[in-house]
Amino acid sequence: MMAQMLKNKVYGWLDQRFALGTMQELAGKKTVPVHRHSIWYYMGGIAVMFLIIQVLTGGLLMLYYVPEISAAHASIVTINSQVDFGWFVRSMHSWGANLMILALFVHLFTTYFLKAYRPPREITWLTGLGLLVVVFGFGFTGYLLPWDEVAFFATKVGLDIASQVPFVGETIATILRGGADVSQATLSRFFVIHVFLLPLALVALMGVHMLMVQLHGMSRPDSVKDQAVREEKFFPTFVLKDLMVWLLLFNLLAAFVSFYPWGLGPEADPFAAAPAGIKPEWYFLGMFQFLKVLPAYIGPFEGEHVGMALFALIGLAFVVIPFWERGQNPVRKMWAELFGSVILFLFIVFTVWGMLL
Amino acid sequence: MNYPIWDVPYLGVTGIIGLISCFHICIVNFAVGGGMYFAVTEQWAYKTNDEGVYDFLKRLSKFFLLLTTVAGAVSGIGIWWAVSLGNPNSIHTLIQTFTLGWAEEWVFFIAELATAFVYYYTWGKISKEQHLKLAWFYAVFSVLTLVIINGILSFMMTPGAWLTTKNWLLGFFNETYWPLLFMRLVVFAAAAGMYAFVVAARIQDEATKTKVLQYTTKWFIPLFIIGPLVGFWYFKNLPPDAVTNVMTGIQASGVGNFSILARTFYLSLIMTGTILVFAFVGPYLNPKGFSFHAAVLFLLCGLFVTSIGEFTREMLRKPYVIYGYMYSNGIVKDKVPELNKVGYLKSSKWVHDGMTPVEIGESMFKSQCLMCHTRHGYRSMERLLGERDEQSITAFLQMLQMTDKEKNPYVGIMPPLVGTPDEVAALATYLSALTGTAANPPVKQTAALPYKPVLVK
Ligand code: HEM
Repeated sequence: MMAQMLKNKVYGWLDQRFALGTMQELAGKKTVPVHRHSIWYYMGGIAVMFLIIQVLTGGLLMLYYVPEISAAHASIVTINSQVDFGWFVRSMHSWGANLMILALFVHLFTTYFLKAYRPPREITWLTGLGLLVVVFGFGFTGYLLPWDEVAFFATKVGLDIASQVPFVGETIATILRGGADVSQATLSRFFVIHVFLLPLALVALMGVHMLMVQLHGMSRPDSVKDQAVREEKFFPTFVLKDLMVWLLLFNLLAAFVSFYPWGLGPEADPFAAAPAGIKPEWYFLGMFQFLKVLPAYIGPFEGEHVGMALFALIGLAFVVIPFWERGQNPVRKMWAELFGSVILFLFIVFTVWGMLL
Repeated sequence: MNYPIWDVPYLGVTGIIGLISCFHICIVNFAVGGGMYFAVTEQWAYKTNDEGVYDFLKRLSKFFLLLTTVAGAVSGIGIWWAVSLGNPNSIHTLIQTFTLGWAEEWVFFIAELATAFVYYYTWGKISKEQHLKLAWFYAVFSVLTLVIINGILSFMMTPGAWLTTKNWLLGFFNETYWPLLFMRLVVFAAAAGMYAFVVAARIQDEATKTKVLQYTTKWFIPLFIIGPLVGFWYFKNLPPDAVTNVMTGIQASGVGNFSILARTFYLSLIMTGTILVFAFVGPYLNPKGFSFHAAVLFLLCGLFVTSIGEFTREMLRKPYVIYGYMYSNGIVKDKVPELNKVGYLKSSKWVHDGMTPVEIGESMFKSQCLMCHTRHGYRSMERLLGERDEQSITAFLQMLQMTDKEKNPYVGIMPPLVGTPDEVAALATYLSALTGTAANPPVKQTAALPYKPVLVK
């Protein structure tokens, strides 16, 4: 009795201030279709879960990490070997980043093949692409922070590649580096980008992305369009299932962390020769490998320039796809599917190729 | 030391025993936990006279019977085989010490199996009261098998007063006997709940499905309250050195020597925690949407936890197989000084006149290292020795002979290396030949041993 009254009172207070009723209505509006492709509806949520882990562990790491080239590496050593559960938090952050990017790739390609980008979800798709760029940025900048040998040289190589982009490349690379070489300025910039700029961008894009998802509900793929499909309430039914998936994947992450704690190479020595076989992280490896196998010159152009122009075109194609393939023209649909399949295939082939070398 | 040595390439003897045991424990926890679950649940079905629940129990018992009698019994025998081949010295000691215990274990085991069959085949053939009694019989027999085996397993970790008195009952009811017994009862009961989810997820009738899933979630709640308490109780009674290993892992698990122990321990804590949340958000709050796949994945997580829990418990005991008495490689701790003096291989039937140092070294390797290491696979010599040459291997081995923690950081992790300087030198020669760091390929020559080896034809 008392408890019920108290509950009503608290609810009333909150409702007046936050319009809980309206929010509940919004939450109750979204439904999720149940069909044989439903499993892909979990992917975005999985990315959210990993993101939450990144935010929490990242915050903890900042308590001990020192973004200064003579202390950065040592601070990671301290985290790994002296701070209580420091090794755990750091491994969570590193493994979590990789699993998150993997989940994002799956999310991107499955929404692509389910044609979830079609009207009215163009904005969802575009903010999604923006999020991918942001997450790549997190990966690239975060990689340098431990200031170990591979990190240093991979960043150097990565920025050198970036500087090859015609017209703007050199300027961008110089701004990122803070000069001609990877140095303290680079580390400071990468740190600020990693913990300040990108999170801001992420929050903004995520906000729009999620709002759009909430407004439009989940898309239905063509193959089940005409069937009578049961719709499930997003809140609470689907959320509860989401939570189960999250727990399972959290366990997977914990298993990686426990069995393969994230290592740390020797401290970077800018004057040493680059160790052989420097490779970027696996998510950049496909592109890296592709550039590597291009001939030095293709016709009158430099091979790398051609490669980058090609990446730009592919990126552009992903941007315009929702405006071009709108679900009205079967021929365009076929081309979109073909394009997606080729890109996915090449991405996998070149990534595996790069790993094997 | 004169038992034949089972040399398993790559996987190692430990690997084989470990794999079979992990599989076995996953089944056994259902065999014992299931006993309790059936009894309590059938009591509930009887009280509420709910045919839906009876139907569910019938289906569960079919799955249960198949799994425990076939997979459980076969893998149990598998452990016996693997351990007698892989670690004959320890099983020898255990059989000699607990002859009566083992005999009882087999009696209860047979009673358990027989009851399981009768339980399944008498559904609907005898009265409900009688069937309920069978359920309780089964529960009692299966718990009794645990009551016995638990004495022997806990003895290996904490042999307690047996060390000085050699009284087997004192060894049986040792310091960790009660906490480990309760810990296992809790874990097994929880596992039974997870198996039950798998079968319950497929119940067609929605009302029954909801009822059974929510009932089974509640089954977990007391377990998760008692679990941490008995876990703590168990920990309190462990040898301090073993606990230190886990605690140092809080800071240095990423780099520590033996940190896998600590890491798997934390992992099992995390996974246990998530299981409770999972049961709450899944089967309890959303029973209608709880699918068979989710139940299976959930079960796999649970079984993974029990396996790594057992793995941690086994690792905790290192470097002993019977704590404080016998090392993992079967060497009795008190014999070490003597063996160092007269020679470890002196009474070995596997060495004979005319053996090269490499061959003698290999004998040393097989009987002292192979129990936990392999040449090129799991915990391999190749990887662990790396680039060390014969000289530095010798220095390393000499360090492994010391029993002072200051001088030998491996004390408490690896058994001390036992043998005369010549034997140690032979081992170093063998190891450097193995890893390919030997300066010159060793010439065929007879080793100088301080004793005359026994000749075998
Ligand atoms: C940090 C990165 C991202 C997060 C946290 C995120 C999160 C989500 C969530 C929670 C959903 C709803 C559930 C689902 O469909 O899976 C969703 C939907 C969607 N996302 Fe993302 N996403 C991210 C990146 C991306 C990327 C890289 C793309 C593709 C370029 C993308 C495109 C979409 C589309 C098109 C939908 C609508 C799916 C439908 O209606 O069927 N998202 N996102």
